[in-house]
Amino acid sequence: MTAPAPLPDPTASDQPSATDLAGMPLGWPGHSGDLPRRFPGREALVQELAARFPEASGGASPIRGGSKPALAGLEALDPVRYASSRNHLDGAVSGLSPYIRHGVVSLAQVRDLVQQRMTGGPEPVSEKLLQELAWRDYWQRLWVRLGDGLWENLEPLKTGHPEAAYAPGLPGDIDQGRTGLACIDAFARQLIEHGWLHNHARMWLAAYVVHWRRVRWQAGARWFLRHLLDGDPASNNLSWQWVASSFSSKPYVFNRANLERFGAGRHCPGCPAAAACPFEASYEALQAQLFAAPQGEAN
Amino acid sequence: MERPVLWIHAEALGPANPALQAHPGQPALFVFEPGLLAGDAGPISLQRIVFLYECLLELPVTIRQGDGAEEVLAFAARHRADGVVTSAWVDPQLGEIAAGVAASLPLQVLEPEPFVVLPQPVDLRRFSRYWKLAGPRLRPDRAETDTFS
Repeated sequence: MTAPAPLPDPTASDQPSATDLAGMPLGWPGHSGDLPRRFPGREALVQELAARFPEASGGASPIRGGSKPALAGLEALDPVRYASSRNHLDGAVSGLSPYIRHGVVSLAQVRDLVQQRMTGGPEPVSEKLLQELAWRDYWQRLWVRLGDGLWENLEPLKTGHPEAAYAPGLPGDIDQGRTGLACIDAFARQLIEHGWLHNHARMWLAAYVVHWRRVRWQAGARWFLRHLLDGDPASNNLSWQWVASSFSSKPYVFNRANLERFGAGRHCPGCPAAAACPFEASYEALQAQLFAAPQGEAN
Repeated sequence: MERPVLWIHAEALGPANPALQAHPGQPALFVFEPGLLAGDAGPISLQRIVFLYECLLELPVTIRQGDGAEEVLAFAARHRADGVVTSAWVDPQLGEIAAGVAASLPLQVLEPEPFVVLPQPVDLRRFSRYWKLAGPRLRPDRAETDTFS
């Protein structure tokens, strides 16, 4: 008969505390060079990773990894509210993209839940949320087909400007959030501090970079990829190409009225550039100002 | 394959990972490679690394830094594995690691449940063409019809 196992010592240092961040135990021995799986808390985890990845910039996002926040996001999914408010910065978007991108939840899992909630009530429910999931599937299929071809223009630009007219690198004031435009600087800061941006903010920021500053879309795409928790070259690069017009029939632009309507009214009041806002114009005037080729209908 | 190790990559960091589902309890590995996720656009920010790490802490997986294929093969050797099991990927960078592993050991690739199955070849020139095919297969009324057909 074997001796009974000793009771754990509650004062021993390997006992998890309330703030302990401990990984799931492994059923095999560790080896020299394995990265740690237990930390006194999130701050210690961030410090450890900052030391191990000295080339990585920034800190930690308030958005946490793992299945718990992903499941909370799934639980909150509402196809009706999504369809009516998704274009607004304060709209009922799912926030699931980082978890889907890294397979914490699968696209099939989200599909099942959305389908279930679409059929729950007496009224027909918009399929917008289902379509949004399909966009991700579509981008992934294109990645398989194109591989690293995602980094090249899929079609010629429709802006009337030659490729050489676009600067190869991102100007420093943009990624430092110092353009003086309250909206653009807020989007840049959110990208760098949160690693997530509402889709509409991504479109506005991308349009500003490519069309107002005339920078190659690839420079903006690289910037986004470094920071976005959901960043992958397929959805990222192809969306930049859609804005730039190398994967669409016309370039995407916005104006101040559009930003004020969907931007939750939080950027223009107090903006130092409000009196000389570069977005304050009709679509016709902006197209004449920004592009050398005649454009189709306004966005 | 009787004693595989599992290679977990950044496209399947959830409990539904098909390799973890198929081989619960087998030694599993994730590698932070130089150029991970962003390739030439990198290095990725610390917030992306922290996010991945928080996902990894929930999974039974050894975490290492280094060259992907070299680390997977060394991990397999330490565990006297006769092969490596992983899940399908889209990122070609992961394909290169997989090829490096498969050059030395049998590699089994498990497919996750597809989002939608479409007749080949799929017209991907614009989303609208894809949606014309995918939409009817995804709408819940269609799913119900399928159940009873």
